Amino acid sequence: MKFGDQLRFVRQNMKRNKTRLFMTVLATAMGCAFLTVLASVGFGLQQSMVEEITGDRLVTEITIYGKNPDKFDTQGIQNGDIDYFQSLPNVKAVTYRNYIQQYMDPSIDGNPVNVNQRIGMDFEAEKQAGFGLSAGRLPEGNNEIVIGYHIREVMDEEGRPSSELPAASEWVGKTMTLQVSYYEDGELAKKPLETVIVGVAEQPTKEWNRDRNIYMGEEMLTQIEAITGTQLGELPYFEVAPTKEQVQKLIEQLPKPTGERQYQDVTVVAENASKVKGIAEKIREQGYFNHSIADELKQVNMLFTIMKIGLIFVGTIAVLIASIGIFNTMTMAVTERAQDIGIMKAIGAHPSVIRRVFLLESSLIGLFGAIIGTLVSYAISFAVNAGLPIMIEVLMEETLPADFKFSVIPPYLAALTCVIALGVALISGQRPARRATRIDVLSALRREV
Amino acid sequence: MITMMGISHQFKIGKKGKERIVPVLHDIDLSVEKGEIVAIVGRSGSGKSTLLNLMSGYIRPTAGEIKVAGRMVTKLDEGAWADFRLAHYGFIFQNFQLISSMTAYENVELPLVLKGVGQSERRKRVEKMLENVDIAAFASHYPSELSGGQQQRVSVARSLVLEPPIVLADEPSGSLDSENEKSLLTMIKQLNHELGITFVIITHDDQVASVAHRTIRLQDGRLARQAPLVSVESIKETFDLAKGGHHS
Repeated sequence: MKFGDQLRFVRQNMKRNKTRLFMTVLATAMGCAFLTVLASVGFGLQQSMVEEITGDRLVTEITIYGKNPDKFDTQGIQNGDIDYFQSLPNVKAVTYRNYIQQYMDPSIDGNPVNVNQRIGMDFEAEKQAGFGLSAGRLPEGNNEIVIGYHIREVMDEEGRPSSELPAASEWVGKTMTLQVSYYEDGELAKKPLETVIVGVAEQPTKEWNRDRNIYMGEEMLTQIEAITGTQLGELPYFEVAPTKEQVQKLIEQLPKPTGERQYQDVTVVAENASKVKGIAEKIREQGYFNHSIADELKQVNMLFTIMKIGLIFVGTIAVLIASIGIFNTMTMAVTERAQDIGIMKAIGAHPSVIRRVFLLESSLIGLFGAIIGTLVSYAISFAVNAGLPIMIEVLMEETLPADFKFSVIPPYLAALTCVIALGVALISGQRPARRATRIDVLSALRREV
Repeated sequence: MITMMGISHQFKIGKKGKERIVPVLHDIDLSVEKGEIVAIVGRSGSGKSTLLNLMSGYIRPTAGEIKVAGRMVTKLDEGAWADFRLAHYGFIFQNFQLISSMTAYENVELPLVLKGVGQSERRKRVEKMLENVDIAAFASHYPSELSGGQQQRVSVARSLVLEPPIVLADEPSGSLDSENEKSLLTMIKQLNHELGITFVIITHDDQVASVAHRTIRLQDGRLARQAPLVSVESIKETFDLAKGGHHS
């Protein structure tokens, strides 16, 4: 008997008692929706929690804090250390930040621009690490820079940033002038440095995080250091006007551009998350203090995995309860159709065909229930994510972080629910289907069943 | 076509532990030749339906062997019997045994569906068969919308749609009036004559028995009278050969 004919048989049979079929599918759908929604809370909370922990950082990042004084003579991360990190296997990039030690009065077309940090970095490494841009490109030439996402913000009279930013692309191509201060014969002088904005950094994930930095390459940093004659463009500070000798003396004490450089915010980026642990352990053994989000996430993920398994287990009980309905419906169906089954067997229906028809019917009930239940779950999940934050805000006067999700249904959860429902329906249909194959032909023909 | 040798059958009745054994058939030897119409007659309780049920494979004999179309069928399991029935038998029942939720067309189509015949081939064969039994106009009717005679025609069409070599009929005219009975018997004779189909008919009706080439009478589970076309010796020979023995 062909599959299409089996389906036609099942459809005919299902039409016989639509109300009973509807109630059984409804019970299965409710069970599936309960399972999916319950488990989706585990998924939602995990996602929100992980996003809170990771923020703008990557799970492949290993942050280097410093060096163990027992193992190293020098402190601070220096060129040799960077070279060592780069030489390690499975390391994709090593990024760092060099904070320029003077403000440089950035301006565009003569108008001052409010900036936070002026940072020198290795753009090649940043590119590897995934430095995100909302417009433009990373610097390639000497005088090219990238500006932070929020530099474009215009402050109102009360000093609050405007809610709307001008388009990032409009700022690409603008010239920003940096006034590099330096001492010449004991006098403070300024030398303008014309730079071109070639890119705008992407928006930080956290709403409260304002990126007002200027990012520049090694070449420009070298240019600034050449002007000041000090590392990172640092200048001595005087409360009163200094003499030429005083300036000379203090500048002499500052590290020279040619001296050993100390790198800030050093981050080792692994090729993928699975390599993080190995690299982090190796670096730690060598005496570098480090930390990776993978360490934190491991425990959080473990906790949520246990929670999700628990929730799926509880939800499955609901589907099992629904299976009683399927069992009952199928048993009734076999009893009602006993004579038809007998006639079919009498003229030559193979028992396995009869079994397959009934199993197909119970699986279809399970499948319909699972599909309806999953669709309902998505609707509930959407409603919960939209409504619950408002309720919490109104009733508990607490604000949740933006994009906080209580319920997330990943496709594999929906697929898992369908598989569980289908499996349970198949198991529920086994006994009635077996009973159908055992119907005695003669009793059925005599209308004794 | 059908050979039975030493067939005995007994039923167990009563509750478990207090069962009583009721013998129904005793040491039956018979054979039905290809193209024959054989009527099995006898009074109620004589064992004629049991004999037909044994031939159909609905029950197994307590003793003896059955061979159909050259195949020993006595020890076939339920699934193999189902396949064998579909391939070799057509059935006509006293109460027609049509599936009430299916139309006349779907009832006739059922054996073809079970055999896995394709849709277009099915349509062709069912329509032809419905026309042959003169019921095509009622193809979309459900059994409850048909008269007894019409239902029996549908039943005959269903039994023949796979063109089986053997048709087993259990009191085929039992629920029919005399006119429909006459029509059915004409049809049986015609099918036997034109297609060479072997018929084994259980009946207590002399009219029905009159169309048979041969009548086998059962009395208290034993053959009362038989005019075999082949001798009992030849039946034994058939079984000996089937078992791999030799006739001396």
